Amino acid sequence: MKFRVFRYTQGDDAPHYDVFETCGVPGMSVLAALTTIQEQQDPGLSFRSSCRGAVCGACAMLINKVPRLACRSQVTGLTDKKNLVHLSPYPALEVTTLWDPATEVLVEPLPHLPLLKDLVVDMTAFFDFLQSVDPVFHPREPLPGKEFHMEPDAVRKLERFTNCVLCGACFGACPVNSRNPKYPGPAALATLYRFHIDPREHDPGSRILAADTESGWWACEFHTNCTRVCPKGVPPAFAIGRARNELKQKRPGPPTRDLGDDGPSDISR
Amino acid sequence: MTVQPDAPPSTAVIPVIHRHELIIIGGGLAGLRAAYEAVSSGINVAVISKVHPLRSHSVAAQGGINAALGNADTTTHDSWEAHAFDTVKGSDYLADQDAVATMCREAPAAVVELEHMGTVFSRDDAGHIAQRPFGGAGYPRTCYAADRTGHNLLHTLYQQVTVKGVTFYEEYFVTSLVTAGGACAGCTALCIQDGTIVGFLAKATLLATGGFGRIYERSTNALINTGDGLHLALEAAAPLKDMEFVQFHPTSLYGTNILITEGARGEGAVLLNKNGERFMKNYAPGAMELAPRDVVARAIETEIREGRGFPGGFVHLDLTSLGEPLINDRLPGIRQIAIDFAGIDPVTTPVPVQPAQHYSMGGIDVDVSGRTPLPGLFAAGECACVSVHGANRLGGNSLLDTLVFGKITAETIIGDLPDLDPGGASVIEKAVVEEGNRIISLFHRGSGDNMYQIRDTLKKTMMDHFGVYRDGPSMDAGLIEILSLRDRCQQAGVPLMQTPYNLPLVHFLEITGMVRIAETVARCAIARNESRGSHARKDYPLRDDDHFLHHSLLVPDGDGTLKVRTSPVSLGMFPVKERVY
Repeated sequence: MKFRVFRYTQGDDAPHYDVFETCGVPGMSVLAALTTIQEQQDPGLSFRSSCRGAVCGACAMLINKVPRLACRSQVTGLTDKKNLVHLSPYPALEVTTLWDPATEVLVEPLPHLPLLKDLVVDMTAFFDFLQSVDPVFHPREPLPGKEFHMEPDAVRKLERFTNCVLCGACFGACPVNSRNPKYPGPAALATLYRFHIDPREHDPGSRILAADTESGWWACEFHTNCTRVCPKGVPPAFAIGRARNELKQKRPGPPTRDLGDDGPSDISR
Repeated sequence: MTVQPDAPPSTAVIPVIHRHELIIIGGGLAGLRAAYEAVSSGINVAVISKVHPLRSHSVAAQGGINAALGNADTTTHDSWEAHAFDTVKGSDYLADQDAVATMCREAPAAVVELEHMGTVFSRDDAGHIAQRPFGGAGYPRTCYAADRTGHNLLHTLYQQVTVKGVTFYEEYFVTSLVTAGGACAGCTALCIQDGTIVGFLAKATLLATGGFGRIYERSTNALINTGDGLHLALEAAAPLKDMEFVQFHPTSLYGTNILITEGARGEGAVLLNKNGERFMKNYAPGAMELAPRDVVARAIETEIREGRGFPGGFVHLDLTSLGEPLINDRLPGIRQIAIDFAGIDPVTTPVPVQPAQHYSMGGIDVDVSGRTPLPGLFAAGECACVSVHGANRLGGNSLLDTLVFGKITAETIIGDLPDLDPGGASVIEKAVVEEGNRIISLFHRGSGDNMYQIRDTLKKTMMDHFGVYRDGPSMDAGLIEILSLRDRCQQAGVPLMQTPYNLPLVHFLEITGMVRIAETVARCAIARNESRGSHARKDYPLRDDDHFLHHSLLVPDGDGTLKVRTSPVSLGMFPVKERVY
């Protein structure tokens, strides 16, 4: 199997692509292939990794033009029909190099974030957007002497969002993030929604106001790329739709402009 | 200072020195819990980690965290004393009973505290935190967030800590601890992003770097678990303790060795050999699949060695009787793992599993307050050895260890700070220059020996000679191999390249430490002529309390040689008895 890998070092005039060949074993992940290439062929190849089990979120990158976790992407299955992901277009998905999907795996950095080295991007903006929604629990006071009472069903609703590993795949898949530098992006908004629906919050239902701005909930265009690429099954587009519906019920329309159709109200997977 | 391989070391460059009252090396649960405590009391805290904190291995913990909440009580009532007894028995009586009592007494508060910080624990029908049975436990005591407990705890603590003003140094690899006047004064670190060496001056340094599982070929651990903190401590002449006790988790996914939680067996999954026999009845007829991990790992290993495993070396973990709704509700993560990484759906098909290294009971020698013998240096979590796990850790006690001792150690530091004085920055500046020169010398070694071959030989050596079963002659041969690898590290070089994200340099620093840690495991294992907990010797199959009811203490001598000494076990609460399940 051939790997066509994006290469960039700060100071380079432009990025380029290197092609590596490595013998794939069944079940080999893209991360394992990159590791083999780095150890045996090009020690200078840089990428991030940690858990290798799709729980830590370190290795999100653009693989065959889809943001994915490299550790969770099996090389041999990438071209299977069931693994094809159709995304609304944005610039990073356009042709950046000539490649043959039948014989090559195209590996590029996660879009919409500054390049640092090869497949490593600067995640600062992604985490700054997360901080901008105050992603921390504000419990009802006074605290109970033991744990809060919670219905198992409320837990299930929350789990869909607490499963987020903050890998950034959704951010790199969002057409709005490709052109709106103020949009917090799907992960930050899904995290905000997670606190909004937490029945233990001191003022449940109020948290969505924090993103009730033109560049917040209302900037989403419901391409739903985020939900399609999430490796953990988190549905940010669903959260955004719900939040907007709730806000619309509170008052007649978005804060500064009318977007018309809010898209489907339930676009869960 | 900038490490430019082609430039001569420059004395004109003034090293960058960061100053904080407390530096915490490692951003997993122990580190972040300590950071939370310290920053809440107004201390200037920095967390230094070679990865973003959310990529720490704590995030991978699945099954849960033990606390005697008693939410699943029926006719009998759980208690912290019962939890302590199970922990001490599980440890094969090597855990310090005063430390265990502290941990188990604090457990309910530690869990409730994280719940109050926002962790979404799974609930029972009454709306309380749900608790499931786990190995070696007398009650359903393990609280969980489906099978993503570590993920939920780590993300909660990360949220809490970031809003409190802790400074994070992400992607900094600490290369040495700096001592001055017999105390730890801070550290030097490689900034991975730009390749510079910087210094940290601090009154207190807390090591919370996790385990060293990656010295083994088969490990459930993240790729980053290379035992860096233990190596740093050893190089600073702080002793390590009980290094021979390495836990093998019974059920890692065949192929990638990704963890399949004990919670699967807690929910009712059974182990079957190739004849379809539920073989645990031959090893632990009372506890069956919920015997402690050392017992179950040995059972599986024995089945495989005696020809009753499947070709390739695995047995089956059968969840098919649990039903899809329960699996989706309580074990969704492992269903996804089995599908993603083995192409198997546990709802319909048994999962192939084999034992793999999982946890390090041993670690940096600390007292119950988190102090190492080196003033100013503290340790908590898996890299530390208090000891609460003794010769075998119970499932659900490691997350608990991180939270309880992360907090306690921070409280110790808060109390000690007024008396700690790291001195001036000059000693750190000097160390930064020395570290820069050391790294330049690595670049100048040329291609040399291949570090990845050294690492792979090490991993195989540890599997073959220091695995589930051990014996004297094999371990002696293993140690000789490790020592030759240590020598080969002196010849290995780091290829010249641009400085940002220089993975070979990071790997070289890791591998050098891994070989050293492997030596400590080997020396402690060879010195213990008995079988206890995870340390199972074919040539000494019985526990020997007369001669070995003590901790192994590994103290580096001035010349770098390692001597195995002993230290007493704290007993008193529970009499030492035979361990039967």
